[in-house]
Amino acid sequence: MVELVQRWSAAKNKIRQVWIGRKAQKVKRLIIGQYLNDGLMAKAVICMMLSFIAYLYLQPLLYMVTTMVKPLSDLLDPTIKWIPRSLDWSNLKKAWYGLQYPEAFRNTLIIALICSIFQVCICAITGYALARLRFFGRNFAFFLIILSFMVPPQIIIIPLYSIYGELGWLNTPLVFLIPALFGQGLRSALFIIIFRQFFSTLPKALEEAAKVDGASGFYLFARIMLPLARPAALVVFLFSFIWYWNMYYEPSMFLNSSFTPLSIRLNNLEAVLLGPDMSGVKITAQNPITEGTKMAGAFMIIAPPLLVYMIAQRWFVESIDRTGLVE
Amino acid sequence: MSADRIEELKRRRRQQWLEVLREQGLGYLFMAPWAIGFLVFMAIPLGWSLYLTFNKVKLTPEGFDYAWRGLGNFRDALLLDHVYPVKLLTYIQEVILMIPIIVIFALFVSLLLNQSFPGRFLFRAIFFLPVIFATGQVLTELFSQGAGELPFIDQYNVKPLVQQYFGPRFAEPILGILGKVVIILWYSGVQILIFIAGFQTISKSVYEAVRIDGATPWESFWKITLPGAVPFIGLNAIYTIVDLFTFPLNPVLEEIKSNMFKPDTGYGYASALAWIYFTIIFLLLSVVFLLIRKAALRRRRV
Repeated sequence: MVELVQRWSAAKNKIRQVWIGRKAQKVKRLIIGQYLNDGLMAKAVICMMLSFIAYLYLQPLLYMVTTMVKPLSDLLDPTIKWIPRSLDWSNLKKAWYGLQYPEAFRNTLIIALICSIFQVCICAITGYALARLRFFGRNFAFFLIILSFMVPPQIIIIPLYSIYGELGWLNTPLVFLIPALFGQGLRSALFIIIFRQFFSTLPKALEEAAKVDGASGFYLFARIMLPLARPAALVVFLFSFIWYWNMYYEPSMFLNSSFTPLSIRLNNLEAVLLGPDMSGVKITAQNPITEGTKMAGAFMIIAPPLLVYMIAQRWFVESIDRTGLVE
Repeated sequence: MSADRIEELKRRRRQQWLEVLREQGLGYLFMAPWAIGFLVFMAIPLGWSLYLTFNKVKLTPEGFDYAWRGLGNFRDALLLDHVYPVKLLTYIQEVILMIPIIVIFALFVSLLLNQSFPGRFLFRAIFFLPVIFATGQVLTELFSQGAGELPFIDQYNVKPLVQQYFGPRFAEPILGILGKVVIILWYSGVQILIFIAGFQTISKSVYEAVRIDGATPWESFWKITLPGAVPFIGLNAIYTIVDLFTFPLNPVLEEIKSNMFKPDTGYGYASALAWIYFTIIFLLLSVVFLLIRKAALRRRRV
């Protein structure tokens, strides 16, 4: 027994000696890090946690994609959860016809693209004025902008409906284009605040230098301030584009027939597919409208902005760091 | 003083005035489009809808037909309607639970993302992804197919547990949230970005300083990162509330919309419902705003 204890302590000493050795120290620092949060171990833990959350986060998207390509037999089979036994592309075809994709895509693109360009321009102008120009009532205007950010669309939708009806804009893209042009587009208050924040971080000396050189107010804005605001403009453009693309409530009120964007058509998918058969897709008992069809429709709605995001996301995340989106 | 000098001074003053006028004019010129838009597409509709709330509105071929009923719409909504107050209360409870979930989740994820590790860009891209496809229709579709639930809720029989521990009064909103928790988490994309951007405003030298003083990362989180993030927590809470106004799975909005087209209630009644909703959310916002003010003041005093 005594011998055992002695041997144990001898072994412990030996281990300690090795541990104290320089090499071990280095390894330890590499793994645990100097301050615990810069070692490999911490990084591994962070990566693991993030991967887990990311999995949860992406799960509905995965569900969408796998359901989309499942044939009917796989949908009914409870043993199949994620991976379908065979791929079935007919859902995509059905969704393509059901959404009347090319036309709806064009409509959505018109609204989203033009509106977001308008938003960038008008919100830049307004944000610049609020940040850089002194005029009476500036703070009051800013207060009104914040207030308008908080007004839910449901409150003003009925009066807006009758105003647009009077003007004859219903069922045309004008219901979105004109308000966007006048700074009342989707969440434009937020965009004005972003621009205001950005412009107010630029140094004052810039303006003075330009003024000494004889630049007028417009020239100063268009030639000096606006090019500098490129990161903010990119952020606003992408947000605006995506939000207009996904907008559902307003189009469901203002656009009922003929000119409808993609988001509205998902609801009418079944009606279109079951309606007079002009599509070349036959809906039968063997080829019904399934959850897969709806998921295919949903996927086709989000695919274009997804593509835009994949291309732009690097600049986008960088720009957000640089715009000072905060405060 | 010579006449010349006086003349010179006058000239200079006039020039200053012109300068001020020019800047004022330029300001108004730049603000004009927004001001027109605000008047036409915000102020007038807002006033109009407030007027609608005091009327019974009928849609006739010639336009609106108003019949004044004072506060009758509000009285009906709060006392006679069996559906609206219940839906409203349930949803407000849910919102009050959802705000901390979203804000804390965003804070947690942004803290993790703020560390340096390989693949940071990839993770940032993933966590911002839902902003793109969190669209009304797609969300509703996913939700109706049950894709927004956490996978372990059914597996571990969470539902009876919640009912047992929280009582029937609170079990419903909690279960409602658990059923769409992933979709709720999707609403934290912008908040995560705000936090990440917010962390950049805390200077690196502060961390170095406390590190030299022997603070552990744990301590420096509680003493520096969290207090530094307080304004952004407030900002995110406000953003979240505003965002949840138009949450696509919002039962209150559905109720308002369905009342709009019911023959016996109509636009006036629906407007009243919307204004009640707005008032409550506005109160909620003011409470959050006051809390932030208080926190900010306390921090300044220290």
